[in-house]
Amino acid sequence: MSTIRVTGLRVRHRRTVALDGVDLTLGTGVHGLLGPNGAGKTSLIRVLATVARPSGGRVEILGEDLSDHRRRGEVRRRLGYLPQEFGYYPGFTVREFVAYVAWLKELPAAAIPAAVERAVARVGLADRIDVRIRTLSGGMVRRVGIAQAIVNEPRLLLFDEPTAGLDPEQRVEFRALLRELGTAATVIVSTHLVEDVAAACTEVTLVDAGRIAYQGNPDTLIALGESSEGTGDHPMERGYTAALRAHRTSAAGAAR
Amino acid sequence: MTGNAHVWHATDDLVAHYTDGTLPDPDAWSLEKHLERCGACAARVSASVRGTAAGAVLGEVREAVLREAPAAALGAASARSAAAAAPVRSAAVRAGVRVRAFRRGYTLLRPPASRRPRSVPRLVRALWAAGPAVRGAWLPAVLLVAVGALVLAHTGAVEGVRTLLLAVAPVVPVAGVALSYGPHADPLHEITSATPSGGLRLALTRSVAVLAVSLPLLTLTGLLLPASGAPGAAAWLLPGLALTLASLALASYIGCRTATAVTGGGWLAAVLAPALAEPAGGLTARLAEQLARCLDGAVAQGGWAAAAVLCAVVLTLRRPTYDRMEEP
Repeated sequence: MSTIRVTGLRVRHRRTVALDGVDLTLGTGVHGLLGPNGAGKTSLIRVLATVARPSGGRVEILGEDLSDHRRRGEVRRRLGYLPQEFGYYPGFTVREFVAYVAWLKELPAAAIPAAVERAVARVGLADRIDVRIRTLSGGMVRRVGIAQAIVNEPRLLLFDEPTAGLDPEQRVEFRALLRELGTAATVIVSTHLVEDVAAACTEVTLVDAGRIAYQGNPDTLIALGESSEGTGDHPMERGYTAALRAHRTSAAGAAR
Repeated sequence: MTGNAHVWHATDDLVAHYTDGTLPDPDAWSLEKHLERCGACAARVSASVRGTAAGAVLGEVREAVLREAPAAALGAASARSAAAAAPVRSAAVRAGVRVRAFRRGYTLLRPPASRRPRSVPRLVRALWAAGPAVRGAWLPAVLLVAVGALVLAHTGAVEGVRTLLLAVAPVVPVAGVALSYGPHADPLHEITSATPSGGLRLALTRSVAVLAVSLPLLTLTGLLLPASGAPGAAAWLLPGLALTLASLALASYIGCRTATAVTGGGWLAAVLAPALAEPAGGLTARLAEQLARCLDGAVAQGGWAAAAVLCAVVLTLRRPTYDRMEEP
């Protein structure tokens, strides 16, 4: 069963159109969301996180229609979300913070302490669990963000630029965690780094100017780069530029 | 490898923003990616960073590391440290990442269940529910209002302190709501919005906390002040409640920040404007008169009670909007 079914999604911010006629069906696995700045990646993630309101189209998550507010709570209970700008309470300890989010996600009170310790251990912060967040480094704060997202063992996980602020070593570790999470849940990762996608994602969705430009898996994207001579240093970078170019050419052709 | 991959180089502007830390993360990233391969730009960024306060610290750290590092480890690292001008972070990657990768990695296994996980104490949980306002600057501000009123009254420096307190009091919980909820007040708002409790339930929990602190505290303060012609110390309770509910109801249309500005500002305007406009008598006396019109008597209090009920009804009807509220 697919976790996400999006048809004809439109999102407007005042006068600009962030997403225009997006159709998307995603199931279990790690999905890389690639695209240039301002392509609409964050807008898409915020709609899927039930935070932003679509101006048109239909969004179905875990079989529930998001426009029905009574069903929205059910979706939110099984959702994990790490926003691009991760806000937190600096005076809270890691344990308090993750437990607070667990409480907001309506985990049973008896299950919260164990769930918190498990989530914090999975991001490698077990030895810092009772330390105030303000004393942590940027990379560690990011990992607290990941811990709060996974505390309810969500069926759908949304990470917006999760590797920003992580050093290369932490990035390698994070990708291992992504692969593990992707075996049981639908994980969507928006990123600028093609290496993240190549190493951790089972599928790739490329967004450009508010539309889906390409959908495939890392291998097909790499093959596209080889066959149509995209530019870039990494095989996947070449696939990325080739796919973008092909989408823009066809979009321009359609407009003519 | 195609030759045109590095047709761009870091502009001076980009380097400056990167150095002072004002470059957004994704841009900083692309720059760092570029620096891994482009020696010329790496040298320029390094030079720029060395010119800052962080440069001095980095220099000291580098000295200390070189002193402490065993000679053998240094030998291995220096083999790859040809790009000595590259940023410290990049150099550290080359020297260390392969050795250290996974050593203190993410624990993919469950932690040992040898002891019971600790739960968070009851008081801390109460503070969570209270939210940012009660934890933050709002609480000291309320205490300051209360203590300030008592001091002013008992030193006899100002006449009619209770009048002034009653004029200000209804705005206090409204300000507490403004500082408790919404994207401008709560750093966690983006995350709470994606949780089942993050909508109206969280706004109500935090408003209740704000009311639970301000209603008894300011009423008690009022009781300790000389009456001096002002309405009773408890007369502001219903208006305070009604204005708080009105703020929450209005917030579902225009956002929390604007809504609280309208209700809080509206109250102050309604009370202060006529007092300031009338020429006769002392200011506090006129203010006491105006407050009496707004607060005294069964009609006025009944009006406030009706307003509170009406706002509660609107709030209930607006709940679906509340659960997905973006500031306009």
